[in-house]
Parts: sequence; structure tokens; C-alpha cells
Amino acid sequence: MHTMWKGSISFGLVNIPIKMFAATEDRDVHFRFLHKKCKSPIKNERVCPSCNEKITPEDIVRGYEYEPGQFVIIKDEDIEAVKPRSAKTIEILDFVRLSEIDPIYFEKSYYLSPQETGDSKAYNLLRAAMKDTGRIAIARITIRDKQSLAALRVLDNVLVLETIFFPDEVRPVSQIPGIPEDSATDQRELEMAKQLIENLTSEFQPEKYVDTYREALLEMIHRKVEGEEIVSAPEAPQRNVIDLMAALQASLDKAQELRREAKASASGKGKARGNPFDNFSGNAEDIPSRMPKELKDAVWLKPVLTAWVNFLEWTSDGNLRHPKILGFTDLSPHEATGAEFIE
Amino acid sequence: MNKVVKLMSKTEVINIEGKKIKLSNPEKLLWPEAGIRKIDYLARMIELAPYIIPHAKNRLLTTIRYPDGIHGESFFSKNLPEYAPKWISRDVWNDTEYALLDSVSTLAWFVNMAALEFHTSFNTSDRDEYPTCLVFDLDPSEGQTFDDVIEVSLLVKEILDSLAITSYIKTSGASGMQIYIPTGGKYHYNDARKVNEFFGSYFARKYPNKITIERMVNKRGTRLYFDYLQMWQGKTITMVYSPRAKEKATVSMPVTWNEVKRGIKPEDFTLNNAMDRLKKVGDLFEPLLSVKTAEKSLDDVFRKVLAE
Repeated sequence: MHTMWKGSISFGLVNIPIKMFAATEDRDVHFRFLHKKCKSPIKNERVCPSCNEKITPEDIVRGYEYEPGQFVIIKDEDIEAVKPRSAKTIEILDFVRLSEIDPIYFEKSYYLSPQETGDSKAYNLLRAAMKDTGRIAIARITIRDKQSLAALRVLDNVLVLETIFFPDEVRPVSQIPGIPEDSATDQRELEMAKQLIENLTSEFQPEKYVDTYREALLEMIHRKVEGEEIVSAPEAPQRNVIDLMAALQASLDKAQELRREAKASASGKGKARGNPFDNFSGNAEDIPSRMPKELKDAVWLKPVLTAWVNFLEWTSDGNLRHPKILGFTDLSPHEATGAEFIE
Repeated sequence: MNKVVKLMSKTEVINIEGKKIKLSNPEKLLWPEAGIRKIDYLARMIELAPYIIPHAKNRLLTTIRYPDGIHGESFFSKNLPEYAPKWISRDVWNDTEYALLDSVSTLAWFVNMAALEFHTSFNTSDRDEYPTCLVFDLDPSEGQTFDDVIEVSLLVKEILDSLAITSYIKTSGASGMQIYIPTGGKYHYNDARKVNEFFGSYFARKYPNKITIERMVNKRGTRLYFDYLQMWQGKTITMVYSPRAKEKATVSMPVTWNEVKRGIKPEDFTLNNAMDRLKKVGDLFEPLLSVKTAEKSLDDVFRKVLAE
């Protein structure tokens, strides 16, 4: 499971480092939007309708619409200044009974585990104490700059954190129209309704319930895929990288061949990096043209040994950068493979 | 560089390049296992400064700060805090004021802030839409070893060689390696990403059992993650020679392809031995500083991939 947050539970003087995992996941079936004509996935482009310009991320600022059409610009540093200090703690405020919290307050559930094996002791202590007292903790937590209330409880052997709405985020029931007052009910009707409830009463077995719409949707999709009623995006966007690489390599080989031919026809001009000493007689005049000229006092000899040199790269003026001689052989440069020198 | 370092244990104020830099808690162990106190860290970083600064000086800097050492809490720090000294060079991008690490005194100031990792942008600050290199970030999945990273690096190198493209490699200092192909800032992020994606998909297609470009960690299996997406405007990557908040005090170190062939480990390169190596081999990433434009062979790849 992917750790989504790390922090610690602060409980009196105890600090329990924990990792947090999302307890639930979205299993909705998602669709992508394709261009009807060619079936390519479409891409969203941001455009400014006034300037008729494409918008890149750096062209964007945040604005708060305090009345229709009137904006105040909010910069990152404005937000930064009022952000809750990300204390990275789950700060326990009170202990209450779970039944005291109406489910309407519950927002999202997360599992908590100790960060290191060394943190298990404190984790276990809090878990055992909550199990024994049957209490759950109310805590204040900051996740990704958002401050939230949370309930901390024990589920099977795991500490579970439920984020809960702040009271002002829950709309008052008084705002719901058309709710009838409690009034006298027909005694016989009430008895029948209670009888019906009795008959339908069972244990809560969550695995009994499945998302029938999702199952039907997936089955329909599966049938379409099986029946090859499928459309594919045109080849172009999914270019065949293997072929493209082969084409690139082939054009390079071709270019190298051309260079070799050019070299052969210019025989002896010694521009290419083959063996510049192929035709060397030992006379200074014959020093291949790309050898450094500034070595005034150098005496040039016809080479008798081949050196194997490790170097970083050729410099633009024909020198080797960071050369290191690995060894010599009396094989000619054409026959030497380097294997002689490599451990 | 005219640096005067006076270490006076009582005053804990250091004079570097004429700037007075306070060193709080000089004895604090930042890397306890490697035995590196803040004062040791400062000494090593001052030595490394001539290697770090040329690569950092004109890039947006993000640091990871560990006020209580590598085992304590850490946080990314992008925006220069208000109390930062005025003499620190800075550049504002996307409403964030980033520091430019262009002097030993700036480096020392960050050392005092317990900035243990230095991450820089892919572009220089004056050309914010043009990365200077294509970067492949090779990251092992769970259950993989560094040998797997080496194996894949060499496969990548082989293909780059077959295209006559020059590439450089460094350890990340953590578990992976990063391959850099200089473009001289010639190509826009959009185009650079397309070419990066081309390489990524090619490797994933050619070596489906070894390499993946899958973003979901749980779908990667034990295949090496070829991250071509990290290279993007506003994102950063561990810079060359940056220390890492790892027990061994590893450093992100450039290596030669021959060293990769012979076999290396990230732990071979640490704050404690980096300077010895640099004295011997120099800055293997130095060529990246002087590249003015892309190689012709790389231009060919851009042309053909973008034409597709």
C-alpha cells in the first residue's frame, strides 16, 4: 500500500510516529474522451477567451471571485502566510464514545501503522488503552495544508483515522423543506411496519452488497471488447518506437559509410580518426595534419608499439581529454582489440 | 575565490568571502553513522565548492533541510525565507523566490541551515523553457539491486552509442543512476520531453522484462523505472556532487562509462572520500558546462522523432 502521509500521533507526553494509508479506494469505471472522427484521446488546452491566447502554467494566477466578475488576486505567498503550520501531528484533544458521533460527520478513512518497528510499543499502548476503555479519540490533524478534525479508533488490530467535518460544514437539518412534524400514527399501520422491519433484520454483512451498476457496466464493456467492437486510436500518436529507432540507426550507419568513402577518396589527408600513422614515414613533414602543431621540440618517430588509451573525449583542437595509458602491445592498431589490457 | 575561513569555536561565526556566516550547533551530528558533524560538513562542502558552484550557479535551487540530521524531520525548501541574507543571489520564477547557489558563502549559509541535499532545475534561470540536457532517471524498483541499474545503464549506453550520441552518467547517491545528454539548451521542454518519451518507450518496448515507464509503482514489478517525466519545468533533480541524507553520506557522483562497466556501488562515493576522487579524476561533468548546442546526431533524433 502506498504511504500517503507520515507524521506522528501526539498523546499526552507520548509521540507515536505513524504512516498513513488511504483505507478506501475509488472503483468507479472511468472513460476517456476521444475525438469522434479519429478516436484519438483528446487533450485539454487552456485558452484565454479575451486574448485568444494559449495559456501555459506560468500565465496563470489565482483569483478569488468576491462578487460576480470581481476578482482579487491571491498569490502563493498570501496563502503561505495563513497556512496552518504543518505540524505533521495528529494531536489528540479528547476521548469520546463512538456512538456519540453521528455518521454524518465522517468524511474519509485512513489506516495508520507504526513508522518503524521501534514505534510499535507506543502504538500498541494507545491501541490497547482505547480497546479497554471503549473510547475513541478526537484529534486535530493537518494533511496537505488542510486542517481537519478526526476520530481515531481501533478496527481489527489497526488504528483507523476518520476525518470528520467541522460542524459548520454540515448543513443544519432545519434547512430541509417539507419534513413533517411527528404526529399520531395509526396503531395498526405502525405494528405492520415494525413487523416488516423485524422480518428484514439481519447481521450487517458488507460483502453481501455489490455495486450492481458497476458490474453491469464492466460486463457490457467486456462484451464489447470480446466482440471486437473496439476502436483504436490511429497509429500515428502511438508511433512505433522500435521502427523509428531502427530508422535512426540505419541513417547513422549510412552517414558513417559516406564519411568512410570520403576518407578513402581523400587518401592520406588523415581527417578521419582511423590510424593516422598508416602512411607515416618517420619524417616530420609527414606528421598527420591533425596532430598538435604546438609541440615545437617534439621529435617524431615511426610508431612501433600500439597504446591503449582510456580518455574522456576528443577536444575540439584534436587533443585527448584526461588520457590514461592502460598498456602497450606490439600488435598493429588494426589487430589490437584492447582485450590485452582489460582486467 | 578569495576565502578566509576562521574557525573560532566560541564565536561560531565564520567569515567567508567577506560575509559573516553564523554556524549554530557546529557539533551537531548530521550524519551520525558517517560521523559527520555540521562543522565537518561545512569543511567538506567548502572543499567541494569549486566543483559544485559551476553546475549550480545559474539554476533554481531547491534544498532538502534536515535540522536534526538525516534521521530527523526533513522538508523541501524552495522559497528563500525572509530572514535569508540579502546578498544571496536569487531569481523569481512562478511566484517563488529561488536562491542561486553561486558563491561559497551562499553554500555555507545553506550548510548552516542543515540543507543536506541540493536539487537544481533542468534549465538555467535565464532560459526557463529550455532544459540544458535530456535526463534519464533510472530508479530500481523494490527487490532490485544496483547491479540491475548498471545492467540497464549499459543497455541505454549501447543504444546511445549506436546513434553516436554522447552521454554522461552519475550515481544519484541513493539507489539509482542518471544519464545526461547535453542539448546546449537548444530544445524546448515540450520537444525534449517528446524525445525523452521516445527513448523511454523504446527501452520499455525493447526490454519489456527489464525496463518500465509505468508511473504506478505497483505495476512496475521488479523492473527498472525509466523516469523520463522528471525532466520538466519547475521540477528539479539531485545535482551533481550533492550529498544525500543517507547513512553513508553518499554523494551524487559522475563516473566514467568504464567504471560503470567494471561495477560501482553508490556507497563508493561519500562526503568523506569525494575530494580524493575529484583531485584524481577532476570534474567528469565539466563538459556539460561548455556545451553550446546539440550534437548533429542528436539533432537528427529530434528532427525525426518530432516529425512523427
